[in-house]
Amino acid sequence: MVKRLSTRYAKSSALKLLLAFSVVILLLALCPQFLPRFFVYLLALILISGLQATSLNVALGYGGMYQFHHAVFFGIGAYTVSIMLMKTNLPPALSFLAGPMVAALLGFIMGLICVRLSKLYFGMLQLSLGSLVWIVVFRWYSFTGGDDGLHGVPVPSLISSVNGSYYFALITSIVALFMMYVILNSPFGRILQAIRDNPERSEGVGVRVKLHQLVTQVIAAFFAGVAGVLFVTVEGSAFPDLLSWTLSLEFIIMCLLGGWFTFLGPMLGAAIIVSLRTLVGVYTEYWTFALAVILMLLIFFLPEGVLGYFQRFSPVPEHSPAEDK
Amino acid sequence: MRKGLAMFVAVVVSVMFLVSSVSSFAADEIKVGIIDTYSGPPSSYALDVLDGFKLALNKINADGGVVGKKIVFVTRDDKFKVDLGLTAAKELIMRENVTILMGTINSAVSLAVSDLAKKEKIPFLVTYGKSSNITGAKGHKYVFSMNENTEMIGKAAAIGLAKRPFVNYWIAGDDYEYGHAIADAVWNHLKKIKPDVQLMGQSWWKVGEPDFTPYITSILSSKPDAVIVATGGAGCIPFLKAAKNTGFTSKVPIYMHTGTELSTLRPLGLDAPEGVIGTSNYYFYYPETPENKIFVEEFKKAYGRYPSFGSLIGLYTANFIAKAFEKAGKVDSEKFAEALSGLTIDSPVGKLTVREFDNQVMLPMFMGVTKKAPGFDFLIATDIVTIPADELMPSIENIKTIREK
Amino acid sequence: MDFSTSITLNGLIQQFLIGLSRTTILFIVSSGLSLVLGVLRIPNVAHGSLYMLGAFLCYTIASFLGASSLGFWLAILLAPLVVALVSLAVERGLFCHLYDREHLMLLLFTFALMLIFGDVVKAVWGSEYRSLSPPEVFQGSLSILGMPFPKYNLFLLCAGPVVAFALWFLTQKTKIGKIARAAAVDRDMVAAVGINVSWVFASVFVIGCYLAGLGGALVAPTQNISQGMDHTIIMEAFLIVIIGGLGNVWGALLGALIFGLTASMGILVWPQFSIVFPYAAVVIVLVFRPKGLLKATW
Repeated sequence: MVKRLSTRYAKSSALKLLLAFSVVILLLALCPQFLPRFFVYLLALILISGLQATSLNVALGYGGMYQFHHAVFFGIGAYTVSIMLMKTNLPPALSFLAGPMVAALLGFIMGLICVRLSKLYFGMLQLSLGSLVWIVVFRWYSFTGGDDGLHGVPVPSLISSVNGSYYFALITSIVALFMMYVILNSPFGRILQAIRDNPERSEGVGVRVKLHQLVTQVIAAFFAGVAGVLFVTVEGSAFPDLLSWTLSLEFIIMCLLGGWFTFLGPMLGAAIIVSLRTLVGVYTEYWTFALAVILMLLIFFLPEGVLGYFQRFSPVPEHSPAEDK
Repeated sequence: MRKGLAMFVAVVVSVMFLVSSVSSFAADEIKVGIIDTYSGPPSSYALDVLDGFKLALNKINADGGVVGKKIVFVTRDDKFKVDLGLTAAKELIMRENVTILMGTINSAVSLAVSDLAKKEKIPFLVTYGKSSNITGAKGHKYVFSMNENTEMIGKAAAIGLAKRPFVNYWIAGDDYEYGHAIADAVWNHLKKIKPDVQLMGQSWWKVGEPDFTPYITSILSSKPDAVIVATGGAGCIPFLKAAKNTGFTSKVPIYMHTGTELSTLRPLGLDAPEGVIGTSNYYFYYPETPENKIFVEEFKKAYGRYPSFGSLIGLYTANFIAKAFEKAGKVDSEKFAEALSGLTIDSPVGKLTVREFDNQVMLPMFMGVTKKAPGFDFLIATDIVTIPADELMPSIENIKTIREK
Repeated sequence: MDFSTSITLNGLIQQFLIGLSRTTILFIVSSGLSLVLGVLRIPNVAHGSLYMLGAFLCYTIASFLGASSLGFWLAILLAPLVVALVSLAVERGLFCHLYDREHLMLLLFTFALMLIFGDVVKAVWGSEYRSLSPPEVFQGSLSILGMPFPKYNLFLLCAGPVVAFALWFLTQKTKIGKIARAAAVDRDMVAAVGINVSWVFASVFVIGCYLAGLGGALVAPTQNISQGMDHTIIMEAFLIVIIGGLGNVWGALLGALIFGLTASMGILVWPQFSIVFPYAAVVIVLVFRPKGLLKATW
């Protein structure tokens, strides 16, 4: 009932939203014209971290899966494209496609093992499997360059300059975000959220819970791979830190900080964290202290994240927060 | 809601611009950007470098600077992470407009920043990263190594060890690039000089391994003549501690590159084992040149402790920078890189030259054995043998063939 | 490089004993983590920081009291108590307002604590490495089966069972232990019978953190005390708790045994890839026993 009443409201607000997004995208597209070079680079970094955090949130916020080691897929995407660009003569476009595909494949394999478990157990199993992947990358000197990593990846010059890589990151992340948005608002996405809110009941009405979670894992891994590829175009390097659990934790924080029950929250969280560590880092080595204080304030006063807080007052809530506390 | 969000975005954007406008560029200054690890275990090395650098810089600036300008520096903490190091390097180049970069203790960060330096044509002076790839396989015009590298360590150790009677060796080390590179370099050169040496086995532990006892006991059960220990930085201290507690060093002699360095021995106090064979590029008590005595005295007066090898790196890096700008005659990254290549200066360990071919500084190496000494509350090196720089430099032919690959 | 290892029985026993002494530390730290996780449902990432704090405090207290053996023992005694006091302040000041929050939020909160502790340690103790010698009695090594065995590790071997017994006594025999176990299963029920759950939680949290501090203090003489200790231990502790069974103290013991022994035996079997063994063990356990080896409390 309430839903039908709000449909008209939702339509006009959707139009407004579309308008707002076009303006934001236009602004972002114009940024390189008036921003200094460093801030263009910083924006590209924010877009990539945001894309990565959003892909994590597909599993974490929408799927209710404790995706504790999402950085593995990010790193594998980055390594795949770097190794293919450096060691093979295949066309670059193929390498760029291979990154997300390999990440998705890894997501499938790890998912097969992990989805049998739930919550913390799922997270910890993923963490230990991810650590095994990390060990392989860290140790396989002849193939991955070991802990020194791969540097000077020959990214095509069109997309390796500061502006070029920014535009490439911008276009790719908009497309990827749009795809994720569509997936999450499809019937599949609705079922996923139903599973998150009540797995037992979903199982009861005949939803194949584990299959949906596995697919979610693959989707999340795929887009993490996309983010990994973008990282290589911006930085020209791949290194084992990209698969470290501390980085995974950082992505989780981006989601929680921005609002993990909102679609754009992780992007906002990424913007806050990346600018915080870069800009506060200019003044003090203790920027982590500032981050910790912000996090504590957030937990006490904005438990649904920054965007989650604002959306509480919004007429059309995107999703209700999970009930299973 | 939208109002609130807009306000939030506005605040974020304005803060960003506020911060961006702070960056000042004074015309009478030469700006050096330093990226290094100032948190976590490696920071003690980075801070030694920084203190040595500051000491020399204060002197240079007090004498009126170079080409009429003062040298100033800004530091960024990379927290031993490549992504943070890269972002910091870009920020220093693009926002702070530094003329040259220097740092860092992490080889991976050094290699990543070196690649950036090549693209941006900004000279980058590596102060503690020891990978031989920095000036070897991945070397280029804009990257300079201000310390010894794994190839040089390997050659020096092989020369020193070949004179000792050991035949059956065991290799153990930190399971990362630095550990393996040192082990390979020592072993390959040793095998060349003394073909009858035998390798009995190897043990590798993860970086940051807290407890070495199980490794030590497993090595002892094979009874090698000597053990080559390839641990880096922080690993040396707990290793030597475990070696003493298990009586390892009294049963089997061990060689460890940084085993006789002040940075390793000072924290251990009198808990360090005697008889550890180690190479180092510097001791504050050796060589006993007047320059070294002055340096030690000034450093101690300024910071209340003895200078380590890191402090020496900081000192001569500052002097190299000053002399190169003097030679270049103006503040220009391109001219600086050309001037620094092949440059020679005086230092507490004698004359130092940046080799023209690969921009690697030519450092002599000293091999010594740890021993308790009166007057010190930590162990020092004795029986010091000097291995001159030209004997241990990586061969130019080798680098040429690697680079062609 | 050619490579050969001959595994002797003596070597095997030796390696087993060494592995056991490492297990002791892992057990003490992870049992504390498990207790907090089981009763309070807090995945306390800052547990490793308290371990680090314990080690630093032990160093500072011992060097303040002088190099005597007495100083060392006092430090071992006092350092965990100080850690417990700090944790009490954190619990009463911050945590007790957050118990009804989502797990991930609690995780985030403890992560913030970890960052703060990390920066505090950096600011107070600086970046220099610290090293603490064991007391006179436990310096050097004994010969067991013809192999050197550090005396301090022997001490650790004895400390493990003592802590395990104390924990058993605490959880099974004392009133607070019984209430805590009941609260772990159903906290509303415990509150309904008129028990002040808040203080039960506080004491369990403090005991858990005390164990982290104790682990840090005990480990101090065997390694260098530096920043970054928190990162190495916390991952291992979490994995141990998970494979043992969440919240089960005996599970923590079993998990620590698996983790510590696979690591030390792995060194003997395949030294070049020994780091793989503990993680592989975790994966195998979780694939076959998804809820851990022993019964989890939730």
